[in-house]
Amino acid sequence: MNFRIALKAYLYLIGLTVISAFLGGMELSVTDNIKNVFLAGILMISTFKGLQIIDVFMELKHAPKFWRNLLLSYVILIPTIIALIYLIF
Amino acid sequence: MLNTNTLPIEEQTKKPYLPGDLAMWFFILAELTVFAIFFIAFAITRQLYPEMFQLGQSYLHPIAGAINTVALITSSFFVALSLNAIKQQKNRPSVMFMIAALIMAMLYIVVKFWEYSQLFELGFGISSNTYFTLYFFITAFHFMHVLLGMVILSFIALKAFKGEYQNKAISGFEAGACYWHMVDLVWVILFPLLYVIH
Repeated sequence: MNFRIALKAYLYLIGLTVISAFLGGMELSVTDNIKNVFLAGILMISTFKGLQIIDVFMELKHAPKFWRNLLLSYVILIPTIIALIYLIF
Repeated sequence: MLNTNTLPIEEQTKKPYLPGDLAMWFFILAELTVFAIFFIAFAITRQLYPEMFQLGQSYLHPIAGAINTVALITSSFFVALSLNAIKQQKNRPSVMFMIAALIMAMLYIVVKFWEYSQLFELGFGISSNTYFTLYFFITAFHFMHVLLGMVILSFIALKAFKGEYQNKAISGFEAGACYWHMVDLVWVILFPLLYVIH
């Protein structure tokens, strides 16, 4: 990893945080159906942020597949489970 | 046996390489599992008591949550730069980046303390209701991980300052850095769960 890659990931993460906060603010003033779309979007952003942290900051992009997939599955599965709980129950 | 940690980065990237110690990765997995249980418990309980959770969330400060998100991401960024510097045998920049990371972590601590004090002033505590029990339990648990991470980063910075990573294995450095990124990773899910989703 070099400085440019790390900086790119950092700016990406900050950008996604801003978008997430913005969606959270908008979610307050929409109907229930659209609210679910916002909810899914916010949780999806968490997944994208997690992927950056794992691949760039943790440097697992070139790690053994088992470990990388284990961590990646975490940031995909947990937000998905949370989304399902919120949308189904 | 040749220690791959002392090889140039180009050499290391040719074959799969797990940064840090294996024991640290098992520890990270265990920690992530505990947080996953908390997240799921919070989501389920929120569905059981939607009004209580909406009311509880209205007392939180989303700006404070956003500041803490930026603080932790920035701190992680500096830790990644610090590790990058030590791989290039640049001790001084590595220490400076680590100090910058610790300053950002300190910002998180200050904001979190302020947030807790605001809630305490309003009369909320861990036993106020189910929402605040979960809120304080999850955030305090994460807070303790930040404190432990700061101790680890300080120890690494001190070792780097003494030049103890010069031409030596850096798996300890990598393990500490990965622990810190795990703290960041947890917050990335915790932030929308507690502050953003209504």
